[in-house]
Amino acid sequence: MSGQDAYIALMCSLPGSERLFVAKQPPLSRIRLDRRLTALTPEDAKALHVLEHALSWSAYDMDVTDAQAIQRCRQSLHDIPQPSLRKLFIERMEMRSAVAALRLRNRGEPVPSGSFGVGRWSRHIPANWGDPTFRLERPMPWLKEAHQLLDDEDPLGLERLLLSVSHTQLKRHAARHLFDFEAIAIYVLIWNIFDRWGQSSAAEAAKRFEKLAQQAMADVADIDFEGASA
Amino acid sequence: MNELVLTLGWLGIYAPMALGAAASAIGCSIAGMASIGAMTETEGGYGRFVGVSAFPSTMVIYGIVIMFTLNRDVTPENAGGLFGIGILSGIALMYCGIWQGRACAAAINATKEKPEIFGLALAPAAIIEGFGVFAFVFALVISAGIS
Repeated sequence: MSGQDAYIALMCSLPGSERLFVAKQPPLSRIRLDRRLTALTPEDAKALHVLEHALSWSAYDMDVTDAQAIQRCRQSLHDIPQPSLRKLFIERMEMRSAVAALRLRNRGEPVPSGSFGVGRWSRHIPANWGDPTFRLERPMPWLKEAHQLLDDEDPLGLERLLLSVSHTQLKRHAARHLFDFEAIAIYVLIWNIFDRWGQSSAAEAAKRFEKLAQQAMADVADIDFEGASA
Repeated sequence: MNELVLTLGWLGIYAPMALGAAASAIGCSIAGMASIGAMTETEGGYGRFVGVSAFPSTMVIYGIVIMFTLNRDVTPENAGGLFGIGILSGIALMYCGIWQGRACAAAINATKEKPEIFGLALAPAAIIEGFGVFAFVFALVISAGIS
């Protein structure tokens, strides 16, 4: 069977997703998804793991440096053989680079020296640091709204916008792949978006904040956190 | 030289049958795999999925009929015609069968989520069937001119 028909049965066994932000949870559990994904060949399973791992925020250490993150992106790109998945990955990284630049500028950070982030706009962004959208409104029309949401200090709105843009990007790529490995990989990435939105809760945010605070204050031994286990 | 020409004539006679069988096998397996996948996710309507996955099997039937129509004593005069009609109609049937299988797989994948679009989702597969019928009918028409 040719590459474009490689995973017909697997793709047809995966339930479609409801509309993003309407669905309360992904269309199937991670356990069931992983069970279905055992049909992947070892090479494809490895490529999917690399892709998912590189795009997952939770897979990054909280104190990861820019250089380490960029190095990891390059390594991941090297391990993903499918051109369309590489393109998709770079698009996501460009999007993250632009959002990171917005956040830095919003915090009053100075213009980064040299290049910034990953992708085509790594030199363009520092060169246009003063422009509200880094003169990227054509390739990234959502940047204007993201800039506005950051100014309005609306993190939930920004998260919603970024997930929505990522979802649209993935759906655009999915239209070119029906039953091949790329279709499976895109399905899993869309599943992750649904999962991320479904898991967003105040309790989880508080837990993550506490973890961040613990890490930031790790060197200060004298401070006891109320409610923290010894 | 005559032997080669006669061989091509026989090749032309059997090509629609062989390529039609390959088309049906590939098309049915593509659509069949889709129906198996869909059955693991749905609670009913299995018969419909299996029925749709048998759509590409018509290509081998067309191939058999073309083969019988072309079947005659092969001579150096008619071998070229037999070869041309047989090979080209066989290739057309093969493409139709494979792509009809893919269209059926897409239809099965879509209807597992929205059973109400079952009929409409089959339209692309039906249109491809029409192209297969064109290749079949005009192979019969043209073959009447071969002595």
